[in-house]
Amino acid sequence: MRVVDVAPDTRTLHLRLPPDTHFRFTPGQFVSCLLPVGGSDIVRAYTIASHPEDVPAIEIVWNLVPNGQGSHYLFGLGIGDTLRFTGPWGTFTLDQAPAAECVFIADGTAVAPIRPMLRRALDTGSGHAVRLHYAAPRAAGLLYDAEFRADAATHPRFTYEPLLGGDLLAHIERRYVAGDDDRTRHFYVCGVGAIVHRLRDLLRGAGYARRAVQYEKW
Amino acid sequence: MTKLRVLFENGSPERVIEFDLSRAPFQHDGRPASLLDVLLGHGIHLEHACGGNCACTTCHVIVQGGLGNLSEAEENELDLLDKAPGLKPTSRLGCQAVIEDDCELTIVIPRFTINAA
Repeated sequence: MRVVDVAPDTRTLHLRLPPDTHFRFTPGQFVSCLLPVGGSDIVRAYTIASHPEDVPAIEIVWNLVPNGQGSHYLFGLGIGDTLRFTGPWGTFTLDQAPAAECVFIADGTAVAPIRPMLRRALDTGSGHAVRLHYAAPRAAGLLYDAEFRADAATHPRFTYEPLLGGDLLAHIERRYVAGDDDRTRHFYVCGVGAIVHRLRDLLRGAGYARRAVQYEKW
Repeated sequence: MTKLRVLFENGSPERVIEFDLSRAPFQHDGRPASLLDVLLGHGIHLEHACGGNCACTTCHVIVQGGLGNLSEAEENELDLLDKAPGLKPTSRLGCQAVIEDDCELTIVIPRFTINAA
């Protein structure tokens, strides 16, 4: 296990799976952790932020939630500790790039599932543009920023567009609703709270196909 | 009092529970008074890999009776149910389907609640 503080309230855990564990996952999936809190196990889901090719290591990322039992428990874990989980679970996934422009929209730590999905889209796509709009209040909140910049430098069809402190909904509306009449794009949206459903409703309401707008709300 | 009859596709014996709906939540996962809340609070296991936060399909149940007494499914739940194995017209996610009135309900817990790996 390795523990990395990526921001004052945000941490990644790099977990090593036991030998002989046959664990495979699809980019976007999560593990369901059983955390011994208050005398019983509570169930908390943590998305796998690493790539399937990294197994037997997996990485999860989370931020400290005030009064959050699960996040406080995880913050107390150190090297050598054991974390019990089941999985992988979840249907917000990307196994093969769609045959269309692929737009990822992420907000803060909710970039976790997008990271392996983006890599898979770049590895399996057939020439369509791939974009990442990544919103955070400030630059320190852009996780994996250097990696995304490096990806953009090596993949000409990939564009990385961080958005610091801006209005994500208005930005997406300008680009993909008011910007043109193309409604063939596929969207993968992950964020925290009501912004996710607002983005879903904006894009579907603008004429993008229901199943072309995939999302996960944290 | 509300009466909930629970059938299991895997052949486990059926369970019937009766409870006072006004005492919800019965535990801490899923919406208060949801099927997941009621089942877990009465010692009946239902998978809920995401913690009961409408982010997976493992708490999929099929409602056989009393569907009209449950809260209406929102778009997020319907999008997830699209991906549930063994989907039926009366499928619901246990963590989202809230019992709104005293009533009698019958649900089936499917054999498979499996992930999409």
